[in-house]
Amino acid sequence: MAKPPVRKPKKKVCLFCQDKVTRVDYKDTGLLRKFISDRGKIRARRVSGNCTQHQRDVATAIKNAREMALLPYTSTAR
Amino acid sequence: MRRYEMMIILDPSLEERTVQPSLDQFLKVVTAAGGTVDKVDVWGRRRLAYEIDKKSEGIYTVVDMTAEPDAVKELDRQLNLNEAVLRTKILRPDLH
Repeated sequence: MAKPPVRKPKKKVCLFCQDKVTRVDYKDTGLLRKFISDRGKIRARRVSGNCTQHQRDVATAIKNAREMALLPYTSTAR
Repeated sequence: MRRYEMMIILDPSLEERTVQPSLDQFLKVVTAAGGTVDKVDVWGRRRLAYEIDKKSEGIYTVVDMTAEPDAVKELDRQLNLNEAVLRTKILRPDLH
């Protein structure tokens, strides 16, 4: 008998809401790197655990950083 | 008058010592129009995430200023005409 998949959804709390951050800076690449995959793609909200507003702010910041070559558009991991 | 934050990527072949004086030269446009330059932060040489104009490095600088929109527009225009400038970005930090 196959076991029914046990899934325990762990509720993630938005990092930015916790720290009460009002502004996501595109120059802070160390922080933004947490929200991109190793291919350079922006992590989805269900992965990053951000709230709607902060996910949007992060995405904008990443896009700004990409324009200024602070973050890659794509990285050639394979 | 509005607050602006401008990031400029300069050609890596420039001497880092000459960056500050040449920036001051450009920023005269802002001060002449009644604006103020609040902070100039030269990050120095930094690797680019991808090549721009076949260059893999750039000298990053961030300038905070308070100025009229027209003065900033003119500054951006002049910077983009200059060949030592790889890229610029202007943001209004109040909106972000």
